[in-house]
Amino acid sequence: MTWAVIAKQDARTTVGARSVKVLLGLLAFVVLLFAYIYPVVGGDTISTARFPGFVSGALATLVPLVALLLGYNAVAGERESGAVLLSLSLPHSRRDLVLGKYVSRTGLVAGTLLVSLVGAGALVVYPFGELDVVPFLAFVLFSLSFTAVWSGLGVAVSLAASTKRRALVAGFALFFLFVVVWDAVTGALQAGLTAVELIDGSLPDPLRFVVGLEPGRAFGRLVTGFVDPTDSIEGAWYLSKWVSLVVLELWVVGPMALAFLWFDGRDLS
Amino acid sequence: MEAIGAHDVSKEYGSETALDRVELTVEQGETFGFLGPNGAGKSTFINVLLDFVKPSSGTAEIFGNDCQENGVAARERVGVLPEGYSVFDRLTGKQHIEYAIRSKEVEADPIEILDRVGIRDAAEQKATEYSKGMAQRLVLGMALVGEPDLLLLDEPSTGLDPNGAAEMRDILREENERGATIFFSSHILEQVEAVCDRVGILQDGELVAVDTIEGLRESLGGGTKLVITVDALKNGTMETIRSVGGVETALARDDATVEVTCTNDAKMDVVVELHQAGVDVVNFRTEEASLEDMFIEYTGSAHR
Repeated sequence: MTWAVIAKQDARTTVGARSVKVLLGLLAFVVLLFAYIYPVVGGDTISTARFPGFVSGALATLVPLVALLLGYNAVAGERESGAVLLSLSLPHSRRDLVLGKYVSRTGLVAGTLLVSLVGAGALVVYPFGELDVVPFLAFVLFSLSFTAVWSGLGVAVSLAASTKRRALVAGFALFFLFVVVWDAVTGALQAGLTAVELIDGSLPDPLRFVVGLEPGRAFGRLVTGFVDPTDSIEGAWYLSKWVSLVVLELWVVGPMALAFLWFDGRDLS
Repeated sequence: MEAIGAHDVSKEYGSETALDRVELTVEQGETFGFLGPNGAGKSTFINVLLDFVKPSSGTAEIFGNDCQENGVAARERVGVLPEGYSVFDRLTGKQHIEYAIRSKEVEADPIEILDRVGIRDAAEQKATEYSKGMAQRLVLGMALVGEPDLLLLDEPSTGLDPNGAAEMRDILREENERGATIFFSSHILEQVEAVCDRVGILQDGELVAVDTIEGLRESLGGGTKLVITVDALKNGTMETIRSVGGVETALARDDATVEVTCTNDAKMDVVVELHQAGVDVVNFRTEEASLEDMFIEYTGSAHR
């Protein structure tokens, strides 16, 4: 188990790149900016339980972008250049390599997000807000899981693609599908089915479930269900917050596991 | 104990056969030269040992550990200089060595190692700025970390000038004297001839010969090379020589000199045959066949 050596090495060189500093700085800046604005526009009750509902939409866009951009090059670039052969000439297994890269890239984004959210919590509480510890802690955990999902997707495309460029294209395809157009497609589906009078304005539960499988939706439902006191979710059992929790955790492990199995069986040169 | 054991290792890429049932054992303490023209499958074989490439069939072991099933254990006591690598972005030479030290979980002084491979002065320089030869020295340095029991080197002298190649050979000798097994591939014969106990010759994915240098010489009909100077080569002279029983190869060096490898008994027959064909033999001498001749003999890669 030498993944820690790889993780440490990777984190050190990754964070040395200016583009990475910019991305992580952007993430921290946006989270803190939202925390700074929130007490001004947040209405009567300012609390750390309500703040997540305010910031989660921004996170649902920004976290995928930052995590993908950090993750897509985790392995693909070194595989393309041949540097990966130097690592694997040493007594590292491919599993250690992938785990180390994943821990490093996820850790950088998750660590930045954690620190920013703690800072944001402080900005919300002082001077006029309320501190609701449990919902806010839950929100932090969900945010970190959501980060792990997108970082995992980034590393997964990095494992599946044989070149850096292909990994970047695949990463953007995922981002485009899940983050950019998912809502529009859902809306179009809803409008279409309503127009042909198959449904009456809102999607039936099974379809809502399918649409809700997207990681950002699952993350949003967790915030709605567990954290935000002003909101709740309704519908069949498979639309519950607990199922959303399972869906999000499956996104954490599923793509990485599949991509690793693919990578592990590949010839590298 | 076997340092390397390959059993019926084959690798196919579609309909291309890169390795064809390679059977090879390298004993501990040997210096083994793995010889063959470019594209013969030398790197593919080494990559199977490193699990960069999965064999289509057969198994390979390093110190008894299966290279595919148990790759980390197999590479634990091995120093590697692979083919087709590149150095890490943003790391200095010294940091490369440090990475190898941490990965192998050993204690070592990176500067001492860089000094040994001759790039101490470039220790703090980014390795991406290194020349090919310096990168080659750096990766050899990474391989030397932790006094490995086996050095697995794929074309180690690539990018080195003759001086550098000689230094590389010196290091290999020192490592072998320390007790390490050396396995390295090359398409340059003199390097193999200079340091190897045994050589294997790979041709089109097939291991066509494994022997000591002396053994290879003997198997080549006594290994006699005849250099014959004649007044002038005529049409058909080469064919005449080749038709003599016991002649292995005949090459025209220029328009008045012929090199013939043949059995000892055939030497006079060649001269007699030439005389009968009306060619005047001005001079002739014999030489011991070099590995180059054997290599040409085995691989048929001469410019004939």
